[in-house]
Amino acid sequence: MTALEQTASLLPAEPWRRRVVRSLLYGNGIDRATKARARVGLAIVAFALIYSVIAVRLVMFAAMHDSRTVHRVVSGDAIGTARPDILDRNGEVLGIDVRVPSLYGEPRRLIDVDEAVDDLTAVLPDLDRTELRERLSSKRGFVWLKRDITPEQQREIYRDGLPGIGFLDENKRVYPNGPLVAHLIGEVNIDNQGIAGMEKWLDMRGLAALHMAGLATDRLQKPVQLSVDIRVQQALRDELAAARAKFKALAAAGLVLNVRTGEVVALVSLPDYDPNDPREALDPSRINRMTTGVYEMGSTFKAFTVAMALDSGKVTLKSSFDARMPLHFGRFEIHDFEAQHRILTVPEIFTYSSNIGPARAAMAMGIDTHKAFLKKMGQLDRLRTELPESAEPIVPKHWGELNTITIAFGHGLSVAPLQAAMGVATLMNGGLLIRPTFLKRTRAQALALAKRVIKPETSLLMRYLMRLNVEKGTARKADVPGYYIGGKTGTADKVIKGRYSKTKVLTDFIAVLPADRPRYLLLIMLDEPKPLPETHGFRTSGWNAVPVGGRVVRRIAPLLGIEPRMDLPSADRLILASAQESR
Amino acid sequence: MILRVLNLIVIAALVLAAAYVYRIKFDSTVQAARLAKIRNQVRHERDTIAALRAEWGELDNPIRIEALAKRLLRLKPIAPTQFDSLDHLPVRPPQSDSKDPIAAMIDNLQVSDTVTGSVAPTANQRSTPEPAASAARHPDRRQ
Repeated sequence: MTALEQTASLLPAEPWRRRVVRSLLYGNGIDRATKARARVGLAIVAFALIYSVIAVRLVMFAAMHDSRTVHRVVSGDAIGTARPDILDRNGEVLGIDVRVPSLYGEPRRLIDVDEAVDDLTAVLPDLDRTELRERLSSKRGFVWLKRDITPEQQREIYRDGLPGIGFLDENKRVYPNGPLVAHLIGEVNIDNQGIAGMEKWLDMRGLAALHMAGLATDRLQKPVQLSVDIRVQQALRDELAAARAKFKALAAAGLVLNVRTGEVVALVSLPDYDPNDPREALDPSRINRMTTGVYEMGSTFKAFTVAMALDSGKVTLKSSFDARMPLHFGRFEIHDFEAQHRILTVPEIFTYSSNIGPARAAMAMGIDTHKAFLKKMGQLDRLRTELPESAEPIVPKHWGELNTITIAFGHGLSVAPLQAAMGVATLMNGGLLIRPTFLKRTRAQALALAKRVIKPETSLLMRYLMRLNVEKGTARKADVPGYYIGGKTGTADKVIKGRYSKTKVLTDFIAVLPADRPRYLLLIMLDEPKPLPETHGFRTSGWNAVPVGGRVVRRIAPLLGIEPRMDLPSADRLILASAQESR
Repeated sequence: MILRVLNLIVIAALVLAAAYVYRIKFDSTVQAARLAKIRNQVRHERDTIAALRAEWGELDNPIRIEALAKRLLRLKPIAPTQFDSLDHLPVRPPQSDSKDPIAAMIDNLQVSDTVTGSVAPTANQRSTPEPAASAARHPDRRQ
């Protein structure tokens, strides 16, 4: 109090009236000047704050000027579901994204549901009225009404000017080649997610995560190039379709494998389906028989048995096996289809496709060796490639002597045909086991993955046997002069209700071309071919799968760049001679 | 006085700076709009290219081409015998400037003594120049 009185007394004297007014307004003892200064200070601070906020906002607006435009582009765009293009090895389009408009509704913004239902069903007659009404009456913010409409329909609906009805451009997967490569590329569902084949592989490789994050919107993803050549694919498919019709087979399948790189150049499994209409794919008869089915391959497995015997060094081409009598084992008796009733050498076992010979050879090598060899050749484990569909081979649980005997000639062990092809390719390419791939790859990349499993000399002898089999053996009908084909046939009795059928067979043929320097392997498989008058009532491979193989080679060899060489010497002089030279 | 001049200069500078900033901002907005438009165009072009490629792929589908070829063309698949390499080509016949190149070619021809399969060894070779001539024109094929 005293201090205030002191300051008041220091001020110059005021007229008393003013002092009265001041004391009435502000009370006694308050210094107005100091107070005013403080107020001005406060105002300055407040205004400075407001202006600095405005300034910061201005800078922010200036710095992020086009955030709104970017947003507009994205919202008009589809939900992030773009997929990379799929190309064949020559760059032909196998799968590509195309923009199509889709119709959606926002029920909350809709004014008149009945009007909307009337107008929409007028343009899209295949929409279900009650379902449409239900969807539009829901309380949700967003409902799909119809995916994939035509631009004309879009224009008509647009002209109706319905509030709460809009369009969104979506990516739709299109497969221009239809059923041609169905089993390879698989298909996608309505949300453009891969559900089978290479499409699923793309998703498993991380594309799905991109989709989840909504990032896969742009079209600039690197295209995926497959190893398949659609020209070869078409030639194979056409011949298989003709063969399937001719022999009234349940199914026909085939594949072309590059033995040097492990690339699958063509893979056909009939019946197939159109990936543009994925409902067909659900039919179990349309599975990919080359990777998803497992089969007893029959005599083609003798190639493994013979290779095992030769690779061990205990057996040479001059060794012989007693095939005078059927082989007895317990209550089983093993016969030869073309019984010779004499002692057969190794090449004869191969060309007459003897059962007794390989059985004796495998027994001589022992069960463990046999099992280890097949394991080494990749025949006992599930073969995993890029295709998500694969099947486990059916291996006997207790592998006894009888199993070794039957597996030696191709019964009692079911493998996927692609797996068998991989094994035979190993026998042909100098003994390198190369896991097949559906993506394009170079020889160097393949060599980095390759594993040596048999000696190169054994591979050379196997090439000789394969060629010999076409010159003199069961695969004579496959020979195309100039391409020097080698091959092994196989006919397996099918297992019907747990018993081997007497009438239903599965025939296959594995060819290699050219046999002296193998580059490609061809596998043909027919499921239950029927005997025809022109096959003289036979249903074995030599009468159906083999001639088909010859026809396919005739068509695909020029496409694969294999030059015909006329007047080549026989296998004895061309391949065997080089084998003796190398020793 | 000096203070007033300074004030005027500052005010003028402020107005100029504001105008300049406004121009830059306006320009950048225009550019951004153009960029967005071009981006949209590019996207549209890409979509169109994709649609056209899909259509081309459909037209180029080997299943379709083969059906068309079988129906409309009389061509057949190539047989292995129809291939040959370039070094099996016969040598080019000697060129001459005369009016009648074929006559000149026959003049240049030296009938060889080689007996071809189409001529009996005892027959008079000069009476049948035709096979011998063809043999001479294809020296590679004689072996």
